[in-house]
Amino acid sequence: MHEVSIAQGLLEIAIDNCKKQGYQSIDSIKAKIGKASGVVPDSLLFAFEALKKDTIAGKATLTIEEIPVGGFCDSCKKHFTVDEAYVIECPLCRSASFKIETGRELNIDEMEVS
Amino acid sequence: MKVKVVTNILEANDRLAAENRKIFDQAGVYVMNVMSGPGAGKTSLLESTIKDLKGELKIGVIEGDIAGTDDAQRIEALGIPVVQINTGGGCHLDANMIYEVIGELPLKDLDLLIIENVGNLVCPAEFNLGEDMKVTLLSIAEGHDKPLKYPLMFQESSALVLNKIDLLPYTNADIGKIRKDSLSLNPNLKIFEVSCRTGEGISEWTKWLQTLVKTT
Repeated sequence: MHEVSIAQGLLEIAIDNCKKQGYQSIDSIKAKIGKASGVVPDSLLFAFEALKKDTIAGKATLTIEEIPVGGFCDSCKKHFTVDEAYVIECPLCRSASFKIETGRELNIDEMEVS
Repeated sequence: MKVKVVTNILEANDRLAAENRKIFDQAGVYVMNVMSGPGAGKTSLLESTIKDLKGELKIGVIEGDIAGTDDAQRIEALGIPVVQINTGGGCHLDANMIYEVIGELPLKDLDLLIIENVGNLVCPAEFNLGEDMKVTLLSIAEGHDKPLKYPLMFQESSALVLNKIDLLPYTNADIGKIRKDSLSLNPNLKIFEVSCRTGEGISEWTKWLQTLVKTT
């Protein structure tokens, strides 16, 4: 995936929100990245560290909360979560009839500013 | 001071995709985003589709490649309005690139706009362009392990076109496995088996596409 352009997007949203709220610098950012989003957290962190220099997020730390892949099975009518990035059958009843509900997130959640 | 942001990082692309969607809807044109790995036969599929349907539908094409105009030239030779996007290194088309060229096509005169994405089984699936439908093309020569190796592409698509079936006797590809694996990722996937080279299966594909365009 495009961790550099995603880090760029994350920084732009954070800086924009920070300035709009009337603050001068960003101390930390928390992102929620789903395990099936295609984003590699280490690569995102690496890209963020490189891109944050000379911005108001220059001293900010990025924390990534990885959201597991979860869904609802239409056959056994139960919610489930899995460790893997992709689901091809319900882990409880092995049905192929399910809907994915979590795990595709690519969100900037909150930040600490001053 | 804690500030809640709660914003999708790809929101900029989705916002532009929605803008494209509005423009397409106003022009009354059905938009199909065709994706595949390099060399699976996207341009050939477009040529076969256009030859079959140009009497019934007014078609336009946006071609996406890193460099060169080969694909656009092939489409131009069929007398179809076409725009070539060169990403210059980008491995997928995004909504902004489509937005930039949208004015170069006579959208109001078109029934169907086909966007041929950059050859890549990974990234195109992540980026909405404002299309009505995503179609994945997979050639027999690529092997039957691709759906499980590149799941997002298959999950995001409405149709899977299996190309180069004329090569089946010369490969170890198991079409049954391709069908089973791709349907397990996406039970609603419509699957077509074609050979753009021999023409086999093309009319089933174009009949389905034509019905979709005319009834949407």
